[in-house]
Amino acid sequence: MISFMLNGERVETDADPDTLLLIFLREELGLTGTKYGCGAAMCGACMVHMQGAPMFSCQITLAGVAGLSIKTIEGLSENDDHPLQKAWIEEQVPQCGYCQSGQIMRAAALLDSNPTPSEEDIRNWMSTNLCRCGTYNRIVKAVQRAAAEMSA
Amino acid sequence: MSASIDVSRRVFLKSGAAVAVALTAGGIRVVAYANENAQEDFAGWVEIKPDDSVHILFPSTEMGQGSETGLPQILADELDADWDQVSIHQLNEDDRRFGNPAFGKILYTAGSSAIYGYFNVLRQAGATLRDMIRERTAAEWGVDKDAVATSNSRVSHAASGRSMTYGEVVALPNFAETTISTPVKLKSHEQHTLIGKRVPRRDIPAKSTGKAKYAIDVRVPNMLYASVLRSPVEGETIASLNDEKALATRDVVDVVTLPDGVAVVAKTLHAALAGRATLDVSWTETSPFRQYNSADTLEAYRQAAVGDTEGATWRAEGDAKAALAGATRSFDAVYTSDYAYHAQIEPMAATASVDADGKGAEVWVGTQTQSWSTRTATEVLGTTADRIRLNMMPMGGGFGRRTELMQNYLRDALLCSKATKQPVKVIWLRPDDLKFGAFRPAAAQYLKAAINEKGVLTAWHHRVATPSVIEYFNPIRWQQVAPKDIVTMRGAESQFYNIPDFLAEHVKTERQARILPWRGIGAAYTSFAAEAFIDEFAAKTKTDPLDFRRSMMTDNPRGTALVDRVEKMAAAVPLAEGRGRGFAFAGYGYTQAAGIAEISVDASAGTIQVHHVWIAVDAGQIISPDNALNQIEGGVLWGVSSALLERVTITNGQVEQENYYNYTVLRNNQSPTVDIYVAENNEKPTQIGEAGNPLVPPAIANAFFALTGRRLRHQPFTPDRVREALA
Repeated sequence: MISFMLNGERVETDADPDTLLLIFLREELGLTGTKYGCGAAMCGACMVHMQGAPMFSCQITLAGVAGLSIKTIEGLSENDDHPLQKAWIEEQVPQCGYCQSGQIMRAAALLDSNPTPSEEDIRNWMSTNLCRCGTYNRIVKAVQRAAAEMSA
Repeated sequence: MSASIDVSRRVFLKSGAAVAVALTAGGIRVVAYANENAQEDFAGWVEIKPDDSVHILFPSTEMGQGSETGLPQILADELDADWDQVSIHQLNEDDRRFGNPAFGKILYTAGSSAIYGYFNVLRQAGATLRDMIRERTAAEWGVDKDAVATSNSRVSHAASGRSMTYGEVVALPNFAETTISTPVKLKSHEQHTLIGKRVPRRDIPAKSTGKAKYAIDVRVPNMLYASVLRSPVEGETIASLNDEKALATRDVVDVVTLPDGVAVVAKTLHAALAGRATLDVSWTETSPFRQYNSADTLEAYRQAAVGDTEGATWRAEGDAKAALAGATRSFDAVYTSDYAYHAQIEPMAATASVDADGKGAEVWVGTQTQSWSTRTATEVLGTTADRIRLNMMPMGGGFGRRTELMQNYLRDALLCSKATKQPVKVIWLRPDDLKFGAFRPAAAQYLKAAINEKGVLTAWHHRVATPSVIEYFNPIRWQQVAPKDIVTMRGAESQFYNIPDFLAEHVKTERQARILPWRGIGAAYTSFAAEAFIDEFAAKTKTDPLDFRRSMMTDNPRGTALVDRVEKMAAAVPLAEGRGRGFAFAGYGYTQAAGIAEISVDASAGTIQVHHVWIAVDAGQIISPDNALNQIEGGVLWGVSSALLERVTITNGQVEQENYYNYTVLRNNQSPTVDIYVAENNEKPTQIGEAGNPLVPPAIANAFFALTGRRLRHQPFTPDRVREALA
């Protein structure tokens, strides 16, 4: 039996401890906001927070999160109103949208540690996450907008 | 859309258009449509309910291009509907009455064609229904129809101060019998309230909160998971299979043999993957694809390009061969481009639940075509379309990947479900998606052109040596269009230039890999060749590259305006030390675009950094201005990525790349600043989604020349090629 905290609630499971966190979140719990893109820590679509830090959920197993605290896009805000989510809508960032949960989780971890990032800070930090539709410049604008709101 | 229809009839108008109206159990359904062919049968583009809700059908599929919002916006504008009361309904069947007029009424979302294909139909539908509402209101109030105004889903009569909601009007007795007395008039450009306005996309909130559901996210009761091990080389089949360990794996339910692979079906995805890892399969070694290597393929294509085998004429004006034979100032060059992969972030996935009799199914899939997804299911099950319940899911990127006539990811879900008698979701891993991907074809292009005594380019011969994409991915369509392959040849028409003696031909070569449409289709490489070539010609004649183009488009004022505009945009930013700028003019289809790229080069590393791209686009009237900017910017970044990074190589018939670590695509910190101008006019809307990328590779190559004096003629511009060019 493995137990960990997920979006503020305790999860207990007897699933195979080798199950990837990503697969467990998506297919067992139905938390499909976190996406599979590459399984190789190359695209960031699976980004979650582990103990508050950004983590590729395709790179860690259930055994690896035992006793730890995980946050997914579903737990980022109570009413879908995190400043980043609002900024994503205001800047009309997504196209296909598939990568955007991961982008937002990655950005949220940045603003937690650096409330006033420069454009260069944002671009470098966000470069773990691929967007094939090419919304990178809008992502930068949205992160800047959210940063401004959060520090206002 | 509600399905039950109690009453239905058609009203034929003097214009030859027609209206169909129907009462349904759910309320009054007004079905309006207009078409040149008034004999057609009609169904519901739009429904207004007595509660004032307006329901508009979305006939395309959504892959990020935004037409899920843009198309209904057009109808709602002409209807004068209250946008806040509009809900949008995905068309989930192969109902050709709603087919894309740009694709012969196939349900097909490709070629950036949704807006331009459906624009007139949707305007007519909205305007016709609005007219019916005004007629019925006029009769109710005993006033002249022309005195009935509409706005935000309300009718009003200024003189008497009366007003009603649309819901109240359609609930009036005998609304369905309303006859339109005068030809339906469309709004003028100035009267539009939604078209051309900043209307937020409907899909964006769900895509900003993790709530949007894609095909890969589908979960249905009793669903199993399948992962497929495929033959590493196209055409090979199973020689021997030992699946004992797979079947013994915890939670594995079955092992299903497929036409070109082996599926492990399990209660969990984890188990399906674990079981697949234990499969012991040997494959036949007889396929001709086993002998193909991409370097040899490209060399063979190059020889075909420079050879004299006559190709299929793509576009011809005057007599290019004679003009070139007699020319005194001519020049030629060869350009090549490698295979490229779609790299959409959502890999292929599909879920199928086959009926007990094996002759029907519900399926969930994200594709660019209801028609071919339905056909895939009917072919696989040997059944008819009425037995297929389709759920078209939003796509995590399309870019041409999801267009095939036979969709093998959906096929596999159906076969696994049929075998296990349970719903099955098939998920491709990234290496599956890449190794069994289907690519932008490798191509070699020979160009020869001549200038007259005034230095104006007057003769042009463009030979594109590459396989036919359509012949492979859609043999049915090939029968209709052969030998003209728009997917292979797009862009080579160079239609925005006035070249009196012109010939573009397709030298059809042997297909040696799986190929598919890819963002920009042919223009992704033909525009590279054409625009890099023109730049070379301009340099040889010591003419400014922009002036050289201007001399070729004296009868194209819209194009010339874009050249002027983008020149001004870039001129506003001083050129930094150590950087160079290059120009290209391309666009896509009927959309014209002019662009300038600013780059720097790290000579020792062989890397190019693109710092800034300015682009001016004329796509006629714009439905969704903000989304147009997003699409064009995305296209530009796609162009940068493809020009610098993207390359599939094949050895002994096997794709060498397997994931984003060896098929690299552009990242955030590699992205240029992009400044976009979109022309404002009232012309027919044309393509947006693929307008941004074709000009970028040549603009970069031309900037490289401006900076280094060397030419890049092989796309992508990898470090080894850059260093070779500089050597």
